Amino acid sequence: MKRFIVMTMIFVLFFLSMIMFYEPKDYQGETASRYNMFFAPQILYWGSRGEDVKNVQWQLVKWKYLIGKVDGVFGADTYRAVRRFQSKNGLKVDGVVGPSTAAALGITLSGRKAPASAQGINRKGDEYLLARTIHSEARGEPYLGKVAVGAVVLNRVRSPIFPNTIGGVVYQPLAFTAVADGQINLTPAKDSIKAARDALNGWDPTYGCLYYWNPATSTSKWIWSRKVTLKIGKHWFGI
Amino acid sequence: MNDDRKRWWIAPSILALALILAVGWGYGEYRNKNQLGIALENHYQRLFFDIKKHVENVQVNLSKALVSQSRDQNVLLLSQIMNEAYFAQDKLGQMPVTHAETSKTEKFLNQVADYSFELIKSHLDGKALTKEQRKALGNLRGNSATFNEELAKLQSELADRDFMMSSLNKRQSKKVREGNEKILMTSIGSVEQNMAETPELIYDGPFSDQMINRKPVGLSGGNVSKEQAKMAAKRFFGEKRVNKITSFEEGKNAADMRIPAHTFNIEPANASKELAVYIGVTRQGGKVLWMANSRPVSKANISIDQAQDKALKFLKNKGFDNMEPNYYLKSDNTVLFNFAAKEKDVTIYPDLVKVKVALDNGEAVGFDASSYYLNHRGDRNIEKAKITSKEARSKIRTNYDINSIRLALIPKGKEEVLCYEFKGKYEGSDYIIYINALDGKEEQILQLIKDDNGTLTF
Repeated sequence: MKRFIVMTMIFVLFFLSMIMFYEPKDYQGETASRYNMFFAPQILYWGSRGEDVKNVQWQLVKWKYLIGKVDGVFGADTYRAVRRFQSKNGLKVDGVVGPSTAAALGITLSGRKAPASAQGINRKGDEYLLARTIHSEARGEPYLGKVAVGAVVLNRVRSPIFPNTIGGVVYQPLAFTAVADGQINLTPAKDSIKAARDALNGWDPTYGCLYYWNPATSTSKWIWSRKVTLKIGKHWFGI
Repeated sequence: MNDDRKRWWIAPSILALALILAVGWGYGEYRNKNQLGIALENHYQRLFFDIKKHVENVQVNLSKALVSQSRDQNVLLLSQIMNEAYFAQDKLGQMPVTHAETSKTEKFLNQVADYSFELIKSHLDGKALTKEQRKALGNLRGNSATFNEELAKLQSELADRDFMMSSLNKRQSKKVREGNEKILMTSIGSVEQNMAETPELIYDGPFSDQMINRKPVGLSGGNVSKEQAKMAAKRFFGEKRVNKITSFEEGKNAADMRIPAHTFNIEPANASKELAVYIGVTRQGGKVLWMANSRPVSKANISIDQAQDKALKFLKNKGFDNMEPNYYLKSDNTVLFNFAAKEKDVTIYPDLVKVKVALDNGEAVGFDASSYYLNHRGDRNIEKAKITSKEARSKIRTNYDINSIRLALIPKGKEEVLCYEFKGKYEGSDYIIYINALDGKEEQILQLIKDDNGTLTF
């Protein structure tokens, strides 16, 4: 009997300490790694050409993984050499030179060196933030419903009655429930990223709508005072 | 028995330890929560004080602009007004107040900034303020004064009550929260009501009511029925390829869309149910506005040039002649081409049609003519250039490295202006410079960012 109590206590203590020392999974970190998976700036693979490939080949020839010409073309020989190098060095064997393989080779992938006026100017941040919003707000919706949510965010950016940046619109307090409860930090699926790109390319299946709501879950009466135009999936869209 | 007596203390001491740990942990959490709460509160307080200051500055500078007689001084004042109004708008959008309570105020601030920018432009063109513009500025000052007064009232009320803005987000006793919500919401809400009474600003900026409520000019004819629209959608996609076509449910205000249209879902023959094709057909004239095929494209078999030929053929087939490809963007094994209309050797950028081609079989999987139907005019009368390209060239930096020159019509507010388009490079980056072909003014500069996947314009 006493032994039973002692065991119970130990269990209780064990679980308590588990609660105390439990660190929620760092999804921010995961998002960042996935971000690099989708948007890695420079990757060399079968068919790549250029100075970077030459650098990789030089290194592989030097270390005797590759016997052949340094020609700047990522062909079958280079592919096999990269795989050999990766398996010898405990890297993921995929025959693709990404950031980690490049680091192991001791080279940095330059890509095309951009002049100062063009450095770092791109659309990736917009794409990714929009993709996360779409994923958190509309992941169960048909493809059109995903693009529509992205289009609403972009219509808001262009509207005078909302903030003027994608970040401002997405993170506006009390605007999106999926932002308030942290679902925005989920890793977006491929479909959401594609939908974000389509929306950024100008496709607007809502014809200028600024609002959408799910009649089953929406608690706001105010939202029904909007001009109702179209229903896509579970969402009503309005101006 | 003996053993039991020896160990009687084990259970209570473990319990006591557990209790101490739990209390320690709880206290830590409590302190964390408080710290986060204070950080949030400080942030909101800062936003509030900033908004007050920015709105004050808008008001003061508007008054100065009305007094000033010098155009140069006015340009400086208006640029400050623009800045301060955007700051205030940006910060208002971060306050824990619902959008319904702030939308008019945000619109007011955005339009103050936008309107100031338009006035700066007209000042730089050498024009003085007109009577109407002075009146509009006066109205704006009136509005900012109301807003400012309301904020001042709110400020003293908040200070009086030890009001915590972050309490709006917290789970508190309901009464306190509702009381707090009332203060912030009603005072900002009362600003809202006063905003409603000001007359519409008439100008050309992107946030003006005229630009937002613009109606398509490229559509003609009467409205078509839903059935007729459905037929048009079927014809566009190819009647034989349509397995089933359904329309999306429309609300009671569907006619208020920017381009009123019917939207359909086509289930293509020989494809799984998830891979729908979506298509929008305008009510007026029954034209296909856009089409999108959501099928995934897993392989790239054709080159971008081949895809471009396919896109051109597709456009010709759909009745768009004289379209000229401009930029492309590649993603997910598809390429999106931008086509602009060409008329008498002038590229007409407002008449823009986008076509997306799948690189596996060259099928057009996307089509978007919204911009075309919004802007296209059948009776467009393009003026003759008054200056030569050589004269226009002299308006550009001499060390700008030019690749190509041509005439183009570009949008400018609601208007369109005829320009010489100079594509070229400066210090290693790509630009397009537009010089007005009538008076030689530098109208616009675009920066191009090129990479393997295509070109982005900024």
